[in-house]
Amino acid sequence: MKEIIIRPKPKWQLVDLEEIWRYRELFFVFTWRDIKIRYRQTILGVVYVIFQPVVNMVIFTVFFGNLAKIPSGNLPYALFVLIGLVYWNFFSGALSRASDSMVSNESMIRKVYFPKIILPLSEIVTFLFDFVINFILLIIFAAVLGYYPNLWILIILPLSVILTSCTIAGVSLFLSSLNVKYRDVRNVLPFLIQIILFLTPVIYPLSIVSDRNKHIMALNPMTSVVETMRLAFQSNPVFNPILILISVFSALFFLYLGLWYFQKTERYFADIV
Amino acid sequence: MKSIIEVRQVYKKYRIGRILPYYTLRDKLAEFYRKPVNLFKKKKMNSDGLLADEFWALRDVSFEVYPGEAIGIIGRNGMGKSTLLKVLSRITPPTKGEVRLRGRVASLLEIGTGFQQELTGRENIFLNGAILGMKQKEIRNKFSEIVDFAEIEKFLDTPVKHYSSGMYTRLAFSIAAHLDPEILMVDEVLAVGDASFQKKCLGKMENTTWEGRTVIFVSHNMTAVKQLCAKCLLLENGKIIAFGQTAKIIHLYSRMTNDKKA
Repeated sequence: MKEIIIRPKPKWQLVDLEEIWRYRELFFVFTWRDIKIRYRQTILGVVYVIFQPVVNMVIFTVFFGNLAKIPSGNLPYALFVLIGLVYWNFFSGALSRASDSMVSNESMIRKVYFPKIILPLSEIVTFLFDFVINFILLIIFAAVLGYYPNLWILIILPLSVILTSCTIAGVSLFLSSLNVKYRDVRNVLPFLIQIILFLTPVIYPLSIVSDRNKHIMALNPMTSVVETMRLAFQSNPVFNPILILISVFSALFFLYLGLWYFQKTERYFADIV
Repeated sequence: MKSIIEVRQVYKKYRIGRILPYYTLRDKLAEFYRKPVNLFKKKKMNSDGLLADEFWALRDVSFEVYPGEAIGIIGRNGMGKSTLLKVLSRITPPTKGEVRLRGRVASLLEIGTGFQQELTGRENIFLNGAILGMKQKEIRNKFSEIVDFAEIEKFLDTPVKHYSSGMYTRLAFSIAAHLDPEILMVDEVLAVGDASFQKKCLGKMENTTWEGRTVIFVSHNMTAVKQLCAKCLLLENGKIIAFGQTAKIIHLYSRMTNDKKA
């Protein structure tokens, strides 16, 4: 048995992977709890998961595609926007739940010890579960319209999921610890998410943005995620490696910032939450 | 023999008057707008190394516990008992000092931590067990024991929100009682349930110590402390003022409280 030493300041470590591994069962149980609770209270169950992107897709297609005539490259607007929405739902859902996870589990934080980082991380995994369902829906929908993904999807899909997850983890770790101290975060978050929606090419293509602004927009990793996944449904995809690289570095930066701030503050959560 | 818990000169600082448990950025900004200088003024500290609104919840606490011992922590309200337990169970870090734990720890500051109203009794057993540090396999092995002890077979698949408060506490305690740690830290959780269930719990806890486990027990219930613990630790204003045989310490404590009343 390893000796546990409790000191005012522990040895500095960005993230204690070994400890997370030791608590893997709790991680699993939290994820399973969230999935269960979410599906239990809704009569529609799994249908509810696909409900949201489908309804959004219909609305966006009518208003932005048909009425505002926003271009969608060589994909039909409905498919174009659904690709964006599938990722967007993952991103916005997981981000808002994970950012709230410290406060919504405060009774537990004040009563038991466990690595708190598993709370936001398990929320992300919970939403990943929804994402998988939605992605299957997307493939089926594309096939119905006569579009099939090319082989690039085998690389784009895992990479895009990793990039999205890193971004959510970074931002939500930062916001969840900030939320413990300043409850304003809770009120600002929905607004913030709405802004990011417009800064992500979900309802419009990146091609309508000027070249310089494209690079700025790539600082939001979701830009590359959505744009690149759309290429997976085209016959002659032309990738933009610079944009992807900017997004990868940006996601890593968010992740580092989130981990750093979280580990700096987490020990005192029980005192102020 | 090497001690299993070693507490060395532990201090814990808290702030008084934080009625609001959290701050809002809005308040901070408003304060800054009114008195921008305040932010840069160096705050005055007194001789104790404290700001005006701070106090020591624990002061120079040191003691050792050896494997198999059961230690009771007693003292009046607000004297640092729960803070000590929170430091020992790693919920909050000490301001100064060091604690070493040489065994698998389970702490029960509240029974039913993390219970989910929407989930059934069965699901909550797995959830709460995991939160308290049990492996899923362990829970599966002890499942029927837990259910028997809590006397809730019939309601296993009912969401706990429909439980009576008695059933709820019985289930929560039963899970806790089947923990299998080397060090068990308990805070006042026996003040629940009816008399016969309390008796059953105490019996269960006694067994726990007999099996060579180490127990730290915080309580106001002197009968329970006497029954469980051979040694006791008396806290007053965050300091240990006595540590020794339970009977003696309880005697001292009751004299102290009587003096206060007189």
